[in-house]
Amino acid sequence: MGPIDGLLYGFTIALTPANLLACFIGVVVGTVVGVLPGIGPVGAMALLLPSTFALHPATALIMLAGIYYGAMYGGSTTSILVNVPGEAGSVVTLLDGYQMTRKGRAGAALAIAGVSSWVAGTVGVVGIMFAASWLADLALRFGPPEYFAITFGGILLLSRLSGGSVVNAFVMVAIGLALGTVGMDSISALRRFTFGSVQLSQGVDLVPVIMGLYGVAEVLLLAEEGVKRASIAVVRLRELLPTREEWRQSAAPIARGTVLGFVTGLVPGPAAVLSTFISYAVEKKVSRTPERFGTGAVEGVAGPEAANNAATAGAMVPLLSLGIPFSPATAILLGALVIHGLQPGPLMIEQRPEVFWGFIASMYIGNFMLLILNLPLVGIFVSVLRLPQHVLATLVFLLCLVGAFSLNNSYLDLWVLAVFGLFGYALRKLRVDPSPLVVALVLGPMMEKTLRQALIITRGSVVEILARPLTLAILAVPAAAFVVPPLLRICRRRDSVVEAVPGS
Amino acid sequence: MTVARLVPLVILVASGFYLTQAMKLPPGTVAKPGAGFYPMAVAIFACVVALVAGARVFLSPQAVRPEAPSGVTDPARRRRVAGAVGALAAFCLTLPWIGYPIAAFGFVSVVLWGLGGRWQAALLTGALGSAGSYYLFGVLLGVPLPRWPW
Repeated sequence: MGPIDGLLYGFTIALTPANLLACFIGVVVGTVVGVLPGIGPVGAMALLLPSTFALHPATALIMLAGIYYGAMYGGSTTSILVNVPGEAGSVVTLLDGYQMTRKGRAGAALAIAGVSSWVAGTVGVVGIMFAASWLADLALRFGPPEYFAITFGGILLLSRLSGGSVVNAFVMVAIGLALGTVGMDSISALRRFTFGSVQLSQGVDLVPVIMGLYGVAEVLLLAEEGVKRASIAVVRLRELLPTREEWRQSAAPIARGTVLGFVTGLVPGPAAVLSTFISYAVEKKVSRTPERFGTGAVEGVAGPEAANNAATAGAMVPLLSLGIPFSPATAILLGALVIHGLQPGPLMIEQRPEVFWGFIASMYIGNFMLLILNLPLVGIFVSVLRLPQHVLATLVFLLCLVGAFSLNNSYLDLWVLAVFGLFGYALRKLRVDPSPLVVALVLGPMMEKTLRQALIITRGSVVEILARPLTLAILAVPAAAFVVPPLLRICRRRDSVVEAVPGS
Repeated sequence: MTVARLVPLVILVASGFYLTQAMKLPPGTVAKPGAGFYPMAVAIFACVVALVAGARVFLSPQAVRPEAPSGVTDPARRRRVAGAVGALAAFCLTLPWIGYPIAAFGFVSVVLWGLGGRWQAALLTGALGSAGSYYLFGVLLGVPLPRWPW
């Protein structure tokens, strides 16, 4: 089935009442989650995951993905109106978005953010259609060595690109890989690190870990900060239209942000956050008046908002085509598919086209719903911010607990949630990013299985594994990420020394 | 002993413990890796990373260290966090004995009151939160939540 045929088939799936409702619920929840500082899309997806067990796999995926990209829309609302980022991918938007609000251009900022997000999200879905299909065809030639290279290289690249020091990232990776070995060995069925516990034989579930690191940790931080009341700018419907000049200034940043964001999304790491910083830096660099950035430049809103939405689309490509998630959010989506008995990857597109194409088509519909929800109805979402934050935080805390218990009716999951909640709080205080831990926890078992299979196939020859062309090509990318920056630094240092020597 | 120096030590001790446990598993051979092969590799990686992190802190004081946690000195902030953590631990410990509705009611009331809500509002929200979440998860979604002990 070609991309266009597939998309048309996907619309027949996505336009069913159940899937339309799931898409609507997902994007509304995502927008609310994005508006509310605190619980982010990952925590919300983890919370809602148990409620999708009874749904059709396509419906579950549609709803959960709606939360993910819906949060990108909602996060910009809080950044622009309140000068507080609703979620991490909207941090950069407040640099110029709030300044536009201070100049009385809040409506224009919201409209540009909404339209940028819609254009990028829609173009991003086109990218998924073609890139995922192409990559899935390529992946049919992958064997255990190539999958090992992707998982190993992905973890290395994530460590390099996540915020903070590489050593801290490696510590998180080590913890995640170690956690992934707890439970029954998939090849020999031996129990590892269970200390006699039957419950630990099932391994450490991903969802309580994520809920703890992102949900409970955030609530503990809110508890520490105390109750705050936000000062919210009022926006009237008639003030929503940008001027012709503002639209003209936004067009090129939207296009650049879309491409940058989509490509960033393909790479392991905090794609939505990273893409916004890259886009902002690029817009400032190419602008003829860079001094306007930080004072209300429309390009500073349009580019990053396009980038973060395109990045969420790009992040879906490795998940859908290879079955490999490179971020906590796509790890949740993988978890949802596995719970429904599906293994995402090249075969899912052929064997379960209704899930793949239905999901793609729903992203078009979801982006359109979000454009309508986030412009005329922005006042409704902003009113959520007027609710007492301590009540919301407490109820979210309770939902995390009952959500974790409901996964497997296991008290162990509650304790995992509690321990990782404390751990996530400590990491936030130490300013260490926990996402390498989550990705390592998901990719670790896959990496182990493919490594052992590759060694068995090659009779223990590591050289034979690394000498395969696809494996070499895949590992070249993280190798370059580690080798090139220090080389560039050395060259620059040498150039500056040469320049400093008189007469050279 | 500062936090910056304690963290790499804790990681090293944990990595060492993980290594000792991994060594109890059959490693197999490179051509036929056993259940202990990969955990030992992870353990060695973890020990190396912990040593590097420790070296950065102990041997190069001017190098980048884990920053000291922010905001820990204010007693009111510490009390709020301690209260939330205590309520979390109490919920996990008491849930099997007193059932979900009572545990949830106590949890929400205590946390809300600790965050600065009035005790009447805390009790009311606790009751509504407990009943609402029990209905949503226990009745609508069919999750077998532990009920009251009698």
